[in-house]
Amino acid sequence: MEPGGGGRNVVSMIEIEHLTKRYGKKTAVDDLSFTVKPGAVTGFLGPNGAGKSTTMRTIVGLDAPTSGTVRVGGQRYDRFRAPLTEVGALLEAKSVHAGRSAYKHLLALAHTHGIPKRRVSEVIDMVGLSDVAGKRVGGFSLGMGQRLGIAVALLGDPAVLILDEPVNGLDPDGVRWIRQLLKRLAAEGRTVFLSSHLMSELAQTAEHLVVIGQGRLLADTTVDDFVESRGGGAVKVVSPNAAALAERLQGPGVSITSPESGVLEVRGTGSAFIGETAAAHGLVLHELHTQRASLEDVFMEITADSVEYQQSKEGVAA
Amino acid sequence: MTSATLIENRAVYTPPSDYRLTAFGLMRSEWTKFWSLRSSWIVLVCAALFGAGIAVAVSADYSANYDPSADGFGMAPGDVLFGFLLSGVFIAVLGALFITGEYTTGSIRSTMSAAPRRTGVLWAKAAVFAAVVVGVYSAVVLATFYGTQAILSGTDLGGASLSDATTLRVLTGYVATIAYLGLLGLALGAILRNSAGSIAFYIGVIMILPQLATMLPWQWVADAVPYTPGEVVNTLSMSDTAGANLTLGESWTWMGIWIVVTFGLAAVLLRRRDV
Repeated sequence: MEPGGGGRNVVSMIEIEHLTKRYGKKTAVDDLSFTVKPGAVTGFLGPNGAGKSTTMRTIVGLDAPTSGTVRVGGQRYDRFRAPLTEVGALLEAKSVHAGRSAYKHLLALAHTHGIPKRRVSEVIDMVGLSDVAGKRVGGFSLGMGQRLGIAVALLGDPAVLILDEPVNGLDPDGVRWIRQLLKRLAAEGRTVFLSSHLMSELAQTAEHLVVIGQGRLLADTTVDDFVESRGGGAVKVVSPNAAALAERLQGPGVSITSPESGVLEVRGTGSAFIGETAAAHGLVLHELHTQRASLEDVFMEITADSVEYQQSKEGVAA
Repeated sequence: MTSATLIENRAVYTPPSDYRLTAFGLMRSEWTKFWSLRSSWIVLVCAALFGAGIAVAVSADYSANYDPSADGFGMAPGDVLFGFLLSGVFIAVLGALFITGEYTTGSIRSTMSAAPRRTGVLWAKAAVFAAVVVGVYSAVVLATFYGTQAILSGTDLGGASLSDATTLRVLTGYVATIAYLGLLGLALGAILRNSAGSIAFYIGVIMILPQLATMLPWQWVADAVPYTPGEVVNTLSMSDTAGANLTLGESWTWMGIWIVVTFGLAAVLLRRRDV
């Protein structure tokens, strides 16, 4: 670290320890701890109102934690000498004065850090707003506002990117563009942390996953492990010869359950092997398909309790 | 080396090191923000036209009805500029909007993410706003003064110049009054964070309430009124300060006190509250 405490560590990890945030009586984030590492896209998943935005706001110091600590690269965000080069954040779309042009908005932010105009034009090009950069932001569509927000986040060429629901309002082209952009930024060794309430969205982009519900940590794992751990990869077999087939499929690492007569759920082997085994023994199959427990299903399952709890609590209060 | 093992053999990114958050940068930023809004121009120009227009109209009327044989109204050359006191209201509102506009639109989030210590933003805003107002209104008040002098040339109010100490003081007083009210509006905006609320508070509590308060049957209320934030500037633009509630020195002192109090409160709240 450089003298004076304003320098930076080599690794810009986001470290959240026992973070609690209350707004009056409402607890938005409840004793949350996790870290987000550089070099990968980490998805931040949770239903609406789970505390994702609040957590992200505490990282850039907009909200002060009620208790616990939030650090980036081992430091509090407000200690950095050049905060925009450490963390770039997209928190809410169109956080821009409607009467100001996109260019002037970015320029005003750039001035704070002595970032040159060249870089402002660069990020405008990068997000594809060159044609409308001089126009008042008031006339922007949600997608254009979102692109401007991404330009703001990229302005300081930061080590950490925090994006709250970045694909909201983007067209399919825009969605594909931002996925590639985020993967590229992560590959450069940056920390990329993006939130979504849509599991499928994160599955395409993120390697790592932090799942919260009701402000509490539900999972902190890789996307693959997350699906795997929740019964992904079972093969459903419907056959009049179910019992005979089950016998033939037995082997190391293979587990077979029968939720109802004539139906098997096979884990530890693929549908190809099951089909071939059935054919080899002349066993009839009526149905054979891989039950890829979608991330959405897993997510719904894991967050179901917290969502229901929240609703019933509100019901009591009302 | 634990951190190095955590990231294994992935690329290590180092952000640009030649950028720094500075007070100068914050002022440049606020300067850009101020001038990049059409409303800033409109309010500045309207307030200037308002003050200058009244001065010209009053001078023309005075000149047309001037009777050299009659006694004057006890007016001094600078008095025809009194319309600039109303410009102060526009500028106070503009000052409030300079910061409440950021809360209304949400741009305060980008602003405070870029400057997470926050108070630097408030000082930069105050410095830039004061500089703009003093710069613009020094020119406008001066131009209006020369304009009215041209109209008043044949009267007892004509022939005044800046070398006349009272005239210079009064003209400076108008500029200082406008700048002070503008800063008061800015601090109020920073405290209340709401455009409509700040404007209502300024007009209702700072401007009108002290006038109503003098009608209350308690003498101590009437005695306190001249010391309220909106009233302490009154002496500055008076040609004859003999009948003023506060001396010039008291006026400047109380203006200083109110600026320190309101900006102090604004800074403390800015540090403590979530954005």
